[in-house]
Amino acid sequence: MSETIGSPTTTTTTSAEIILRIKDLHTYFYTDIGISKALNGVTFDIPSRKVLGIVGESGCGKSVTALSCMRLLPRSAKIPKGEITFFRHKKNGNGSAAPVEEVDLLKLDTMGQEIRSIRGAELAMIFQEPMSSLNPSYTIGDQIGEAIILHQNVDKAEAENRTIKILDQVGMSNPKAMVKRFPHELSGGMRQRAMIAMGLSCNPSVLFADEPTTALDVTTEAQILDLMRDLQAQLGMTIVFITHNLGVVAQMCDSVAVMYLGRIVEQASIEPIFYNPKHPYTKALLNSIPHAGSREHKRLLPIRGVVPDPYSSIKGCPFHPRCNSFMPGKCDVNVPATVTVDNGHTVRCFLYSDEVEQ
Amino acid sequence: MIDPVIAQSGDDVLLEVKDLKKYFPVRGGFIKKGVGTVKAVDGLNLFVKKGETLGLVGESGCGKTTAGRTIMRLMEPTGGTIRFNDPKQGWVNLEKMNRQQMRAIRPNMQIIFQDPFSSLDPRMTVFRIVSEPLVINKVASGQELNDRVAELLRVVGLRPEYMSRYPHAFSGGQRQRIGIARALALNPKLIVCDEPVSALDVSIQAQVINLLEDLQHDFKLTYLFVAHDLSVVEHISNRVAVMYVGRLVELAKTDDLYYTPQHPYTEALMAAVPKPDPHMRDRPIKLPGEVASAIKPPSGCYFHPRCRYAKDICSTEDPPLKMVRPEHWSACHFAGELNLRGIVPTN
Repeated sequence: MSETIGSPTTTTTTSAEIILRIKDLHTYFYTDIGISKALNGVTFDIPSRKVLGIVGESGCGKSVTALSCMRLLPRSAKIPKGEITFFRHKKNGNGSAAPVEEVDLLKLDTMGQEIRSIRGAELAMIFQEPMSSLNPSYTIGDQIGEAIILHQNVDKAEAENRTIKILDQVGMSNPKAMVKRFPHELSGGMRQRAMIAMGLSCNPSVLFADEPTTALDVTTEAQILDLMRDLQAQLGMTIVFITHNLGVVAQMCDSVAVMYLGRIVEQASIEPIFYNPKHPYTKALLNSIPHAGSREHKRLLPIRGVVPDPYSSIKGCPFHPRCNSFMPGKCDVNVPATVTVDNGHTVRCFLYSDEVEQ
Repeated sequence: MIDPVIAQSGDDVLLEVKDLKKYFPVRGGFIKKGVGTVKAVDGLNLFVKKGETLGLVGESGCGKTTAGRTIMRLMEPTGGTIRFNDPKQGWVNLEKMNRQQMRAIRPNMQIIFQDPFSSLDPRMTVFRIVSEPLVINKVASGQELNDRVAELLRVVGLRPEYMSRYPHAFSGGQRQRIGIARALALNPKLIVCDEPVSALDVSIQAQVINLLEDLQHDFKLTYLFVAHDLSVVEHISNRVAVMYVGRLVELAKTDDLYYTPQHPYTEALMAAVPKPDPHMRDRPIKLPGEVASAIKPPSGCYFHPRCRYAKDICSTEDPPLKMVRPEHWSACHFAGELNLRGIVPTN
């Protein structure tokens, strides 16, 4: 598999704004106790040079979405259906409007040459746990340098220079000494900076950041978020920011996709999500968290029940057993289709349209 | 140094901690000889009033969990006093109690742990987990024990029919409820909540927070709420204590501490809280360097290497805890003189 894959076609439209288009993506895990439908028809566009947040509770499919795009799923996972189109901007030359190549990522061999040239170089990912995703037996410099040597055709000395430069960029003090350190010699914040540096090392078009600050203290978290915002603006990267923390979303993102049980239930730009949410799940999430800085003591409004286990199948809208606006005979029969309620604001709920998903 | 916190001891106070220290030896090398000391808690002062929730916050490694456990005497304190206002015995010094004496006090102070997955024995049924304290203290047996466990499960929102199941059959939120039922079994006065919601999903967090608030109201409980999530702590606490490298840096009523902090470290914490409001994007206050080491803390004020207001005195003299305003203590040389920024109110 090499030449025919992805059947590149050159276009000049759509691609200016969208970098990744995910269409009806299904990712299933085949395990001993059954099939877990982690993604159940995820459809959305990732706008170019913006920060898109994906929020939802554990098990909703946030990380699996990113791993599907990266083609980094474990062996037990299969993608029976769906499309992921990557609008690849060729990086050759003078910066003028280069032709855009459409690559269907799902048609690529997960171990093949093509995905390996994309992964790390154009699509990069940083993980939640910097301690377990850095290799304890190699220095920071070796690990970041590896990606640079692989993708940028430079020698070891030059790779180290570039590593030092990028460590400096992510705010590491004394980067020259840092390249010689092992992960266990760094604090949590420093390790996460090293992870970010690794993600950025090849100047990717899209950076998937999977809960990059969840394991960190607030003051460190705030500094890492600030750093990512600055770098994003400077480098014009697209960031897909995966988190369960609505506070972090509000601070970081330009637009938000809310996920529940393997589906996107609402997507909009940042302000409508926080000030005019439509889906009952989005509303419920916002009501269930304490808002720092609200002087009056309001009782929290929790969402009743729990996220169902991924092996069960729920008829109708997956949120209906927990929903405050549940309409019997409707929500428990069909799955609502995704409809547009406002410019760029989509929602999947029978409160807004009777349209049923096909 | 006159300690203003101690002056608060009175009938409305349940717990008073003075100059609490907990050091751990650091061993290294071939023969595991002691090479240093981690001063996890290094002179902590605080008091908890009856019926209130005192939030204890700080970043990882600041000693807040160790403080909670040392106060419970789950760890032996290295120094200092822990005084508890026992409903039967009156004021007692916990650090002086032997095992037998502690056993008489323990029913009045319980703890809820962070991780609902490791704090329940997987080989015990829910009935055995919740009934154990009742059995050990010979409070109930037979049918009465059964009824009491059923009642406790109902109180925390679980179905009594579940009592013959094992912990693996429950979700994280339900397990945390089992842990809460166990803590409630002996009608305690004080419950140390050690990060009780940080391992839970957002929607489940709210359920458990509401439950803790209801139980506090119904059973007149006092909480020492150890947590790092400042939004949760603001929501649940009447007063908040901030720790940095084993020490108390600030203690005040929640609103005073959040809106008008008197310590530069608290100011930095407040600026760092991620607010769920896209119109309130804040630049964080840059704290240079790393959290000071509890093995080799800096001289003077432990925070001075990272403090943007630090002057010469800060690196030489240890700032005493002083009352800046009524019921507002801060351990900063310039407390009251600095114009520090608190959290921006959202409404």
